[in-house]
Amino acid sequence: MTIVDSLIAVLAVIGTLIVAFVVSVWLPGIERKLIQARIQQRIGPPLSSPGLMAPIKFFFKEIINPNSPMPKLYNALPLIGIIITLFLLMIIMPQLYPLAAFTSVIALVGLLKIEEVLYMFMGTLSKSVLSVKMPFPDVVKGAKHPEVPRSFIEELSSMRAFRLIAFGSFPIYLAIFIPVAMAGSIFIEDIVAYQQLHGPVLFSLAGILGAVVYFFGFMILLNEYPFSILKTKADVIEGPLLEYASKYRAYVFISRGLLIFVLACIFSTLFLGIPPNILSWTILLNIVVTLAFTILMAIVSAFSPIFTFKQFYPVVAGISLLGVLGIIASFL
Amino acid sequence: MDKDKITNETPKKQVIETEVPMGTVHSAAIEPYRIRLFVEDEIVKDAEITVGVNHRGVERIMEGLPVEKANSLTEKICGICSNSHIWNSVLVAEKALGIEVPERAQYIRIIMEELERLHSHMLYLAHGNEVLGHETFSMRLFYIRETVMELLRMIGGNRVQYGVSILGGIRPRADLNQMRIQKINEGMDFVEDKISNFAERFISDPMIMSRITGVGILKKEDALRLAASGPTLRATGVSIDLRKDMMEYDPFEFDVITQDDGDVKSNLLVRVLEIPEAIKIIRQAVKNLPEGGITNRSWEMYDTPITKSYIEVPRGKLYHSYALEEGRVRHSIVRTPSIANIGAMEQACIGCHITDAQLAVVQCDPCFTCTDRAIQIIKL
Repeated sequence: MTIVDSLIAVLAVIGTLIVAFVVSVWLPGIERKLIQARIQQRIGPPLSSPGLMAPIKFFFKEIINPNSPMPKLYNALPLIGIIITLFLLMIIMPQLYPLAAFTSVIALVGLLKIEEVLYMFMGTLSKSVLSVKMPFPDVVKGAKHPEVPRSFIEELSSMRAFRLIAFGSFPIYLAIFIPVAMAGSIFIEDIVAYQQLHGPVLFSLAGILGAVVYFFGFMILLNEYPFSILKTKADVIEGPLLEYASKYRAYVFISRGLLIFVLACIFSTLFLGIPPNILSWTILLNIVVTLAFTILMAIVSAFSPIFTFKQFYPVVAGISLLGVLGIIASFL
Repeated sequence: MDKDKITNETPKKQVIETEVPMGTVHSAAIEPYRIRLFVEDEIVKDAEITVGVNHRGVERIMEGLPVEKANSLTEKICGICSNSHIWNSVLVAEKALGIEVPERAQYIRIIMEELERLHSHMLYLAHGNEVLGHETFSMRLFYIRETVMELLRMIGGNRVQYGVSILGGIRPRADLNQMRIQKINEGMDFVEDKISNFAERFISDPMIMSRITGVGILKKEDALRLAASGPTLRATGVSIDLRKDMMEYDPFEFDVITQDDGDVKSNLLVRVLEIPEAIKIIRQAVKNLPEGGITNRSWEMYDTPITKSYIEVPRGKLYHSYALEEGRVRHSIVRTPSIANIGAMEQACIGCHITDAQLAVVQCDPCFTCTDRAIQIIKL
């Protein structure tokens, strides 16, 4: 590899990251304005508002320190989330395939796991003002149970994040395993090469099952309705994200849009054999897949209530079973 | 020996693991109230609701006011059932002073009350769906409700405070002409069609049914013991509707809707099925609207003892009482239906997952703000 080739590779990586940013800021707007608002027969926000203008607005807001035992770490977590998401994207870029160990499914799964664990950290590090003890008459005058230890609503979120990590992430990992089983390799490069030779994984029975399972795993990872028990507004409201303000909330918004794009790109890499690469016209296919995922997610969310664990466990079990069937089919 | 006996007879206090306080400001609760949920592993073992942060002392403000002014003040108690309050306060005064009300005015008052029931029930269903997380159904219901709000504005001149009922009848601007009657009929056709479509989709949605079936159960015995009222009581299988005992409703035929399970599903279904019944009453009232005057002005003011009136409003039983002296209110008491349902709300939370606790409260259709404005609950 010459210096020029290396330079082109670096520029391609940077270019792809820029494309990811540019596309991701429009995705929340597409989700809310073009799909959900249309389904709900309302005007909805401007297309640029949820993903682009809202983060810009929050960047210029006054910084408010969260009610947290470690506010600096708590505020740093969304930024860490963005960095992890960017690493996820870099793993699947063809320019980085020479770093063989780094660009494997193992690294992919590990980074996704860190992304999930961040919510648990956020929950344990946040104690919102909504749960702060207030001097209410019921505490001093004839309350039913006056001296009960109090729990913060973020602690509930943290426990739910733990359950999601333990159980809710089964579908996405099962789905990722299907192309691995078909290609017989854990390296992204081999999975892409296998599909260039044999056609996309998606066009097989195992691939179809895997795509369905991946899509639900994608929704669970994004905490999107109906799988948003982590931040259901019926009790924990925004959950671990509640205390983020000013630029830190902007990071949360950016992180979500970016994660949608990256997860869609992971799908197109593993199931279609199209990694995100600015040097190829196929980057347009990545964007199309991203839009398809965003639109499908918005439609499913618009027609779903939020699941509690009573519904969540059987649904995830059913989807995981489908994933297992997909893996079995991949060996046939 | 005696001491031991006393100790043995003391009831064992329930040991609670954790308390999760919510409110008085919480995104799922539109109104200011506080609920303390006593939970173990996210399952609610006990609940305690505290209201009173929006107290205005309306009853005390009314004392000393001329009765007409006091009547208009009662309308400000609630933004959702404002007509119910003014109607009941006017009914009390009319009952105390022996005022005869023209039949046409009675019919128009019923139309207003049933329109209010329609918009209140649709607001309830929309809010219930919002708490469930189903924003599309929620938006859809607000869209259907808009027709009813426009009809109320057409008759009363306002979307919230209509001020239709006055002593001896109704305000002249609320009288119905042919154009208004036609608009009411068209509105009822629209609402009936859209609500039946909504009900069909709502009942056939497995995800919704899974969220609301067997959640927030209030048993019939508990509902009666806790003096629940209105649709909350009827959802437990008790067929009590004060409209059947009100002479104003004698000319109209309608069914009392009941469900048996006392859970969120039953509560939602009672309200959904009460909407066509309200439409039925409105259609009858519009069709058989009597000719004649709308206000009886031949009455005299005199001192009266305490007079009481109960009516069936969208949320349950509403109580007003007046005692009049020299044309002014000497005594006034208002009891909103939500005050009767607070015990039911606490009971319904028990056994729920914490995420369903708000739903268990919302299923009883609380209106804490109007409860607060009138009275303050002080535990002793």
